[in-house]
Amino acid sequence: MTARRTAVPADAAQLIVLTRFLRDFWAAEALAPPKMQTFELALEEIFMNIVTHGSRPGGTLLVEVSLNLSAESVAMTVEDDGPEFDPLSLQPPDVTASLADRRVGGLGVFLVRKIMDSVSYARIEGRNQLRMSKRLDG
Amino acid sequence: MKLRIEELAEVTYVVPEGRLDFDAAPGFQEAVERVLGGAGKSLAPVIIDGTGLEYVSSAGLRAFLLAARAAQRSGIPFALCALQPAVREVFELSGFSRIIPVHADRASALAQTQQGRA
Repeated sequence: MTARRTAVPADAAQLIVLTRFLRDFWAAEALAPPKMQTFELALEEIFMNIVTHGSRPGGTLLVEVSLNLSAESVAMTVEDDGPEFDPLSLQPPDVTASLADRRVGGLGVFLVRKIMDSVSYARIEGRNQLRMSKRLDG
Repeated sequence: MKLRIEELAEVTYVVPEGRLDFDAAPGFQEAVERVLGGAGKSLAPVIIDGTGLEYVSSAGLRAFLLAARAAQRSGIPFALCALQPAVREVFELSGFSRIIPVHADRASALAQTQQGRA
């Protein structure tokens, strides 16, 4: 099992740093490229949610991302030190709504739940922790 | 992301190349709305050719949604075509392929949008 971890401030300009971290991991482990895009998408959605909605009086949040490779799957954990917030509690969008009525809120998290095999939230030691995993075969 | 606009007599193709993420989405939306505004009274269809579109996030979907609404308000046929598999998957999972027409290629997109006006 291989694991890597990095941390960046919750600033939109840092997404590129996290994306590079993900790509480096993929290249180092010689994993198949199609699944990388799934993780890139999940990373953008979850990180940008924290950038947009997470805040703390008097400072920027710190976001920690870790990647774990096991025999059949990759797990990605995104943690932040902001106030308790479970993104999985967001109301899913009505994907059958018409063009005029369609709302965009909650779409990012909805997509993450669809593209990952499992997504779970935990509040651990004053931190929000979102754990996602996806099998590499299927 | 790069954006190419091909303005023909009967249709305008918008050809995005690269990644439509949170960073690129506002500029893309603005560019498409400018094209829609420029269509003026001709009401020629605007078709997004996704051949070179590698990645779309929810921020990109939002740009498509707002552009499609702007087109609808102006009475301009609006459609997508030639989406790469990963991008098409995002459109399908999000239900966006039900509210914005997605076609296999330029020819079928043009045929369908012209038929819709007849």
